[in-house]
Amino acid sequence: MIKNLFTLNALDISWVLLMIITSANAFVAETAEPSLAITAIICCSIAYKGRRIMDYFMELNHANETIQFFMRSYFHVFPALIFLTDLFSEELASLTTI
Amino acid sequence: MTITATGFNLNGSGSVTKEPETLNKIPGNRAIWVGIFAEMTEFALFFLVYFIAKAHYPEQFNQGPQQLNTLAGTLNTFALITSSYFVAKALASIRMDDPEQSIKWLWRAVSCGCIYLVIKVWEYHWNVDQGIVTNTSKFYTMYYYMTFNHLLHVGWASGSLLWAIHQLKVGRYTKKNHIGLTAIACYWHMVDLAWVIIFPLLYVLR
Repeated sequence: MIKNLFTLNALDISWVLLMIITSANAFVAETAEPSLAITAIICCSIAYKGRRIMDYFMELNHANETIQFFMRSYFHVFPALIFLTDLFSEELASLTTI
Repeated sequence: MTITATGFNLNGSGSVTKEPETLNKIPGNRAIWVGIFAEMTEFALFFLVYFIAKAHYPEQFNQGPQQLNTLAGTLNTFALITSSYFVAKALASIRMDDPEQSIKWLWRAVSCGCIYLVIKVWEYHWNVDQGIVTNTSKFYTMYYYMTFNHLLHVGWASGSLLWAIHQLKVGRYTKKNHIGLTAIACYWHMVDLAWVIIFPLLYVLR
C-alpha cells in the first residue's frame, strides 16, 4: 500500500523535473548576472522542458513523424536563436536597421 | 519508492510503444494540428520581433526583466505545467475507462488555468502600480503584447477544457472514443509550450 502511494510514473517524474527546472530558472533570474554562459544554460533548459512536455505530456514520443519533426525542431531552433541573437546582437541590429 | 522511467507508463500499466492511439499516429485529429501549427507560427513571429527589438534596444531589454515580478511569472509557470500534468492524467484516466476520474483531473486543470488568469491580472495591476505600462519602454510593449496574447490563449483553452468536461459528463468521450479529448489536450499542451519560451525571454534573460 505504502509502496503504491509512492510509485511514480513518467508523467509524475516529468512534472517534478519541470517544476525543479522552473525554480532554477527563477533563481537565476533573481541572482545571476547576465552572461553568455547563463544564456546558454537557460536555452538548454528551454529545449529540455519543451522536449519533456512534447514527449511525455503531448505523447509525441512515438507519434506521427512529421508532427514530431516540426515540434522538436521548434524547440531546437528557438533556443538556438535566443543564444545566437545574444551572441550576434550588434550584427542583428545592423542587419535590421532600415 | 519505485520510479518507472523506462516503463513510460501512460496510464500506470502500459508502455507508449504499445498504445495503439499514439504509435505513429496524429494525436487527436488533423484539424487541431493545423490550429496548433498556426498558433506556434504566431508565437514564432512574436519571438522574432523580440530578438530584433532586443538587438536595437539592449539597455531597455536589460533593465526590463529586473522590474518585473519574477514570483508572479514563476507561479504562472508552475500553474501551467501543473495544469498540463493534470490534463495528461485526465487522458490516462479515460483510457482506463474511468470518466469520473478524468473529469476530476480536468477540473483541477481548469482550476490551474483560473489561477494563471488571476495571477496575471494581479501582476498587471502590480505593474501599473510600479509605473510599468505598455509604452514605458520597448521591452514592456513586447511584454504586454506577448503575455496578453498568451493570456487570451489560456482563456479560450480553459473554455475547451470545460467543453471536454461536459462531453465526458454526457458520455460522448469513452475509453474507445476520446479523440476530441486528445485534441483538446494537445492544444492545452501547446499553450504550455509557448509559455516555456515566453517565461525565460521576459523574466529571466537580460
